[in-house]
Amino acid sequence: MPETKSMHNVWLIAKREYLERVRTKAFLLSTILIPLLMGGGIVGSIVAGGRAKSTSHITVISQDQQLATDLQAELQNGKDSRMTVDVISPGNSETRQTLDAMLSDKQLDGYLWITPAATPNARPTFAYTPRSTADIATKGAITSALRAVLMRERLSHQGMVSTDVDSLMQPVKVDTTQAGKNADTTSSFVAIYVLFFLMYMVILLYGMNVARSIIEEKTSRVFEVLLATIRPEEMMAGKMIGVGSVGLTQVAVWLATAILLTSSTLISSMAGGGIHVSLSAMQIIFFVVYFLLGYLLYSSVAAALGAMVNSEQELQQLNMFLVMPLAGCMFALAPVISNPSGPIARVISLIPFCTPLIMYLRISLAMPPVWEIALSVVLMLITICAILWVASRIYRVGILMYGKKPSLPEILRWLKYS
Amino acid sequence: MPIVELQQVRKAYDTKVAVENLSFKIEPGSMFGLLGPNGSGKTSSIRMMIGITVPDSGSVSLFGEPFNRKNLHRVGYLPEERGLYKKMKVIDQLIFLGQLHGLNATTASKRAHIWCERMEITEAIPKKTEELSKGMQQKIQFIAALLHEPELIIMDEPFSGLDPVNATLLMDTLVDLRKQGRSVLFSTHRMDQVEKLCDTICLIHNGRLVLSGGMREIKSRYPNNRVIMNFEGDASFLNHPSIESAKNYNGMAEIKLHDGDNGQALLAEAVTKAHISRFEVMEPTLEEIFIETVTTESKETVAGDKVDA
Repeated sequence: MPETKSMHNVWLIAKREYLERVRTKAFLLSTILIPLLMGGGIVGSIVAGGRAKSTSHITVISQDQQLATDLQAELQNGKDSRMTVDVISPGNSETRQTLDAMLSDKQLDGYLWITPAATPNARPTFAYTPRSTADIATKGAITSALRAVLMRERLSHQGMVSTDVDSLMQPVKVDTTQAGKNADTTSSFVAIYVLFFLMYMVILLYGMNVARSIIEEKTSRVFEVLLATIRPEEMMAGKMIGVGSVGLTQVAVWLATAILLTSSTLISSMAGGGIHVSLSAMQIIFFVVYFLLGYLLYSSVAAALGAMVNSEQELQQLNMFLVMPLAGCMFALAPVISNPSGPIARVISLIPFCTPLIMYLRISLAMPPVWEIALSVVLMLITICAILWVASRIYRVGILMYGKKPSLPEILRWLKYS
Repeated sequence: MPIVELQQVRKAYDTKVAVENLSFKIEPGSMFGLLGPNGSGKTSSIRMMIGITVPDSGSVSLFGEPFNRKNLHRVGYLPEERGLYKKMKVIDQLIFLGQLHGLNATTASKRAHIWCERMEITEAIPKKTEELSKGMQQKIQFIAALLHEPELIIMDEPFSGLDPVNATLLMDTLVDLRKQGRSVLFSTHRMDQVEKLCDTICLIHNGRLVLSGGMREIKSRYPNNRVIMNFEGDASFLNHPSIESAKNYNGMAEIKLHDGDNGQALLAEAVTKAHISRFEVMEPTLEEIFIETVTTESKETVAGDKVDA
């Protein structure tokens, strides 16, 4: 049974690769640290968000008693600030000196001097003297409080009742869930961008690991022992699956952490204003299927790149070949969105390198015929096998000529050798 | 039925011909030495025997059938350069390689422990490969090639980088394996080792076979015209007319006699001049045969080139 033997070898190689990598400190660190940073960032921003409400102690000097007390109320109990505000009304020439002295004694964070306007309907002028010019939060709080107070005052002047003023100044809420038909496009858009960035990130981060592990094998000369029992194709496939799964494990851990964190802290606070992305079970299944296939496909390209070069520096130069086709897909998005079942969309979605993104987009926009989906999957699988076959050819000949960088015609010639 | 048979094998990489028209057989249960200077095509020949490369023309048979990958689990291979995962623990490594050769994990682990004991490296078992000395790594590699109890053992330069104690340990192990009926092929350029170990040798130079056959048979082709002597005193007897050439290493002389001379006249003369503690007439060493063959071969090639030009 050569088939089972072959699968067994692939499994052994993959298992070794996976276990050896998962056991490294680097893997543990990055798997734990990044979610920690992520969580720390979220917690930090929430704490900072709470703190961002300015708690400064300032003095307001104004001849207009009403304006000063309104401002005081807004700053002390308003939406964005919890300041301590003293009112001096009116101020005189000595006041400024006393305040300056308090500033340098750090008893005060700043003072706001309001000079009434010359004409009755014009705005008064405001001069804020802070202890530290870096205190942007306080300045911002004062500015927005002033605007609210002035607007309220002007509206009252125009004869509006204070309850009407309050309701007028309520923040506006927009509920995107009620947007109706457009919701589908929005959510599939979000999903396609998530898929794109997830693939881009994972391929960039881990696809190169496949290439690197193949180069490592060359330099350690272990391949010679391995090739004396197994085929290069088996080794390539094993490496790809093993190293690939490490990446998937890490991403899965990160995603799980992210979901856990966001569900407990953010969802509750964002429930009112958040964007609702609703995906059907079918879309999620296709998302996973196309993500995995795409990952495998690009990893096999990485394996081929790794087979061609002898060092990591050389690999860097070929880096772009890995992400270029993926980036190219982004340009194809527009025509596909405008006509998801048109000939252009149908052709592009069957090109294996574009299939994961484009076919997924088509599925979420307008369900293509089942045979097209099946065909796209089959084409991708065939491409993966073909690339692996070519890569193992290049590898087998390449390792025997190590030390020399192959030219393209040489690589083509190698394909004929075995 | 020979265990390995190469017939008219040729292998070229681009423009460089690595092996040309090479044929030899390895009989079951024999110790076979593949000899040749650096770059002569030893490793290329070995790689074709285990399917890492395929000959351009000619044929390779293993175990009496044309080359087939399914027979590879009956072969144990030790590559010339160390091929072990640096960061992997020795025991995990051995189990992994054993599994690739078709063993299950339990058997592989059990045999690995037995072998490590036999090779006196039990303390290395829990360590990572990178923490070990080169000699120890070589022993691990050696064990890895033998775990699955192969019928044919192929070793490319197995003794390189080993101290005499460890080299002897490996040689003794190989001799034991041969006694158990396994066939062993190893390549080397160290002639003294071959002389002790091998039943059959094959000498290649520039990818071509220059000499092959049984050890005894090859040696008997050469006359007993070498003398090794240890002496104290006057060395003027080294000018004796029966001597074709002589080297004097400070009291130990290596002498080549003229063809047909039995050395008795030389001994008689030497006794009168110096105190002789050793006088041995013998056939040429393999090293001498090797150097002689390789240099005549090179001269012929150069001459041939001139004719072509």
